[in-house]
Amino acid sequence: MKLWKKIRNLLNREAFDRDLREETRIHREMAEEKLNQLGTPKEEAHYAAMRAFGNPTLTQEASRLQWAFFFESFVQDIGFAIRMLRKSPSFAAVAVLTLALGIGTNTAIFSVINGVLLRPLPYRDSQQIVVMKENESLPNVTDIQRHTNAFSVGGAINAQPMDYTSGPEPLQIRVGLVNSGFFETLGIAPTMGRIFSEAEDVRGGPRLAVVSYPFWQSHLGGDPHAVGRPILLGGNSYAVIGVMPETFICPREHADVFISLWVADPNTAVDRDVHFLHTYWRLKGGVSLEQAQADIATIHNSLAEQFPAEEKERRMQLIPLRESLVGDVRPALLVLFGAVGLVLLIACANFASLLIARGFARRQEMLIRAALGAGHGRLIRKLLTESTLLSFSGGAVGLLFAHWGTRMLLALTPAELRWLNGIQMDSRVLLFALAVSILTGVIFGIAPALLAARTDVAAALNEGGRSKTASAAGHRIRKILVTTEVAFALMLVVGAGLLMKGFSHLRSMNPGFNPTGVMTMYLQLPTTRYAEIPKQTRFRRELLARLNSLPGVRIGMITDIPLGGNYVEYDFVIDGRAPIPEGEEPKVQTLSVMGDYFRVMQIPLRAGRDFTGMDREGQPLVAIANEEFVRQFFPGQNPVGSRIRWARDTGPPRWITIVGVVGDVKHSGLNQPTDPAVYTPFPQADEAWKRWMTLTIRTDNSFSGLVEQVKAQVWSVDGQIPVSDVQTMEQRMAVSFAQQRFYMLLLGAFASLAAILAGVGIYGVVAYTASQSTHEIGIRMALGGQRRDVLRLIMAEAAKLTSAGILIGIVGALALTRAMASLLFEVKPGDPVILAAGATVLALVALVACYIPARRAAQGDPMVALRYE
Amino acid sequence: MEPDFLPGTLEMLILQTLSRGANHGYGIAQHIQQISNDALKIGEGSLYPALQRLLMNDYVIAEWGVSENNRRARFYKITATGRKQLSQEKRIFNALLVGIARVMETP
Repeated sequence: MKLWKKIRNLLNREAFDRDLREETRIHREMAEEKLNQLGTPKEEAHYAAMRAFGNPTLTQEASRLQWAFFFESFVQDIGFAIRMLRKSPSFAAVAVLTLALGIGTNTAIFSVINGVLLRPLPYRDSQQIVVMKENESLPNVTDIQRHTNAFSVGGAINAQPMDYTSGPEPLQIRVGLVNSGFFETLGIAPTMGRIFSEAEDVRGGPRLAVVSYPFWQSHLGGDPHAVGRPILLGGNSYAVIGVMPETFICPREHADVFISLWVADPNTAVDRDVHFLHTYWRLKGGVSLEQAQADIATIHNSLAEQFPAEEKERRMQLIPLRESLVGDVRPALLVLFGAVGLVLLIACANFASLLIARGFARRQEMLIRAALGAGHGRLIRKLLTESTLLSFSGGAVGLLFAHWGTRMLLALTPAELRWLNGIQMDSRVLLFALAVSILTGVIFGIAPALLAARTDVAAALNEGGRSKTASAAGHRIRKILVTTEVAFALMLVVGAGLLMKGFSHLRSMNPGFNPTGVMTMYLQLPTTRYAEIPKQTRFRRELLARLNSLPGVRIGMITDIPLGGNYVEYDFVIDGRAPIPEGEEPKVQTLSVMGDYFRVMQIPLRAGRDFTGMDREGQPLVAIANEEFVRQFFPGQNPVGSRIRWARDTGPPRWITIVGVVGDVKHSGLNQPTDPAVYTPFPQADEAWKRWMTLTIRTDNSFSGLVEQVKAQVWSVDGQIPVSDVQTMEQRMAVSFAQQRFYMLLLGAFASLAAILAGVGIYGVVAYTASQSTHEIGIRMALGGQRRDVLRLIMAEAAKLTSAGILIGIVGALALTRAMASLLFEVKPGDPVILAAGATVLALVALVACYIPARRAAQGDPMVALRYE
Repeated sequence: MEPDFLPGTLEMLILQTLSRGANHGYGIAQHIQQISNDALKIGEGSLYPALQRLLMNDYVIAEWGVSENNRRARFYKITATGRKQLSQEKRIFNALLVGIARVMETP
C-alpha cells in the first residue's frame, strides 16, 4: 500500500534523510574519483564533481517530495510561519491588531446589515407580502379584498394604547385592532388556541383576544390553560382564544394583544375617511408587484369615483414588505458599510506596508534561502502562508471586537432597527469574517511576497546583500499605499464632519417650545365610562383643578404631544372664500388643548388672545392658529376674527372663529418642516373618540416625587385610569435626536479609527526613510548642517505624501459624500468649511506621525550615523 | 540532453539498466550515459527523485552493500513488478516510436 509506505516513510524521516544524504555524497565521491583517474587534479576534480552534481539540498528536497503528502509542505509552512512570527512579536501584534480593527468593524456592521437587510423576515414566504404605503380605512380594505385579482388575502392593523385592568394595577398596553385576515396574510399561526374567524370579525361579534407570547408570559403567567380566560381591555371583558408563537413580531408596530376592529370599534370600522390602518397584502402566486400595483390602481379609480370626498385626493401605492420596514435605514446602513469598507482598506494598506518593510528586513534570509536552493514559488508560498496566518489571527481577534461592537451597536441602535431582532453573529456573519480574512491575507500579502521573493542571488550578493532596486520598488509602493490611506481617511473624516455639522444644526433648531422643566405623561379615558364628550370634559376639568392645587406647578394638556409622532389632520373651509370642490380642500393639523398648555410649553402668542376658561362647551367655537397656517392661508393678513369650518362636518355649518396666533412648533420632528396647525379647546371637542391626552407639567422644583403626586391626583379622580409614557420633554427631544446621533457617533468612530491608522501608516514610511538616510544625515551634520534642515528634509517627504493624499481625498469626498445626502440635515455634501477642517485634521495627524521619527533621526549622533553599516 | 522529455522515460531507462543487474545511483547514471554515447546525461537532481518514485511503486528495492572497489553504496534491484512494468512500458514506447516515425516520415 502506497499510503502505508508513505506513513512509514514519514515516521522514519530521519533514516530516510540520512540514507539519501549518504547516497548522494557517495555519488559525488565516485564521480570525483573517476575524474581523478582520468587525470584531473584532485582539487579540481572535487569542484567539478560538485558542479556536475548541482544543488544537493534541492536534490534531496525533490526526492523527499516524492513521498510527501500534498499538505505536508503546507503544514510545514504554517509551523515555519508561527516560528517566524513568534520571533518578532511586536510586528505580529501590530499587524494582527490593525487587521482586527478593520475586520472587526466590518463584521460588526455586516451583522447589522445581515440582520436588517439580508436575513429572511420572520413571515411565511415573506417576499410574497407587500405593503400599502398609505394608511387605509377598513371599508377600503374590504372593497379591495372584494375586487382584487392580485391578492389572496389582506390584513390590516392599528395598534393603540388601551388600559388593561385584570392585573394588580391599571396598566397601559398596546392593542392591535386587526381584521381577521391579518395573521393569515403574515402567514403565522398561533402556537396555542386559534385566531378569530371571518364570521366573528363583524359588528357586535364576540369579544375575543389573541395575545402575544411575551404578554402571555408576563401577564397570564404562561398559563397553559390561558385559552378561554377573560381579560379586561378598555373596560370590556375579552376571552383569550389564542397565543402567538414566541418568534412572532408584529411588523412596524408593537402590540401585546390583538382584537377585532369590527368588535372593538364598529363606528370607526365603517368610516371610510379614517385612514389609520397599516395594511399587508399577500400576492397570489405568480403575480408581480407591478401587476398588483396596476390592479390596485384600477380599484382605487373606481373608489375615487364612488367616494370623491374621501378618496379623490389619495393614492394607493404598494411596496415590498422589507422596504416598508427598513426603507429609511437602508441608505444609512449602506453608508456605514461603505465607511467600514474604507477603514478595512486603510487597515489592509497598513498591513501590506508592514509586510513590505518586513520584506526588506528579511532580504538576507531570503537570499540565503534562495542560494540554498529554495524555489521562487516556494518562497512566495512561505510568505503568503505568513501573511494569511496573520490575517486569520486578525480575523479571529476581529471577531472578538465584532462581538463587543455588535453589543455596543445594539445599545446605541435606535428602536426602529432593533425590533428586527436579527442583529447577531450567525453563520453568515462568521462566513463573511472568514472570507474577509482570507482575502486580505492573500490579496494584500501577494505584492509584498512577490517583492520579497524577487531574489537575483548573484546580483544581490554583489551588492552586499542590499538589492536597491527591490527596496526602491517596495518603498514606492508603500508611498502609494500611504497616500491612499490619507485620501480614504480624509473622506471618512469629511463624512463624519458633515454628520456632526448636521447634528449640531439639528440640536440648535428651535423646536418652538421650551423643553426644560416640563414633564409629560399620557392618559386615555376608557370608552366604557367616558363614551360621551361631557363626561370626558368633566374628568379633564376635575383633574386640572386638582393638579393646580399642587405647589409650584403649571398644568396643560394636549391631544398629541409635539415629537410624539401623532397628529390628526382635517380638511377645512375658510368662511367667505370661493367654494372648493369636495375632496380638494386644504388640510390642517388639529390639536385640542386645555389648561395652560401654551404657557407651560412657552409657545409664544403672536396675535390675538390665549384660550380662557370661558372658551367652553355651549360658547362660540374658537381656535388658535400657528404662524405657518397664517403664512399659507392668510399671507400678509391678520386672521384673528376669521372663521373656518371642518369640510367633513355634516349638519348645519359649525363655524370656528380664530381668536389668536401662536408660534410654530416642530410637531413631527426637528428635521421636519412645520405644518399648518389649528388648536381648539378640549371642552369644545366635536369628536367623542378623542379620549386621549398628554399632560404637560412645568415645575419650578425638581421632578422628583412629581410623577407620584400627579398619578395620585389622576387616581383620586378615577382609580382605573393608567398613566403611561412618563417622560420629560427633554427626553422626548433626545429621542428625536437619537438616530442622527447614532449615525454621527458611528461614523465619527470610524473616521477616528481611519485617521489613526493613516497616522500609523505615515509613521511607518517616514521612520523607514529616516533609517535609510541615517548615513546621509550623518554626513550633512558632520559638514555643519543644522538639525532643523535634517528635520525639514525628512518631513518634506511626509508633507508631499500627505498633501497628495489630501487632494485625492477631497475629490473622493466630494464624490462619495453625495451618497449620504439623505442623512444630512441642512448641510451640503460639499461643505467647504468641513472639507477644510477635515484636511486640517489629517495634516495635523500626519505632522504628529512624522515628527516623532524625524526628530529621532535629527537628534542622532552624527558619529554613530557615519559609522552606520 | 536530459532524458525526461516524456514523463516516465527516465524511469523506464533506469528499470532497463537494472534489468541487467543491481547497481547504485552513480552506476546507473554512468551506464545510461555510456550506452547512449553521451547523448543522454542524467542530472542527479532528476535521478534520485526518479529512484524514489520507483521505490514507492515497489518496482525496485534498495539495500546498502559494497561496490566493486570496496565502497559502501546503496544498490537498487529490480523486482518482479518492476520487470512487468518495464515490459509494458517498452511496448507502449515502441508503439509510440513507430507512430512518431510514421508521422515524421510522411512528407
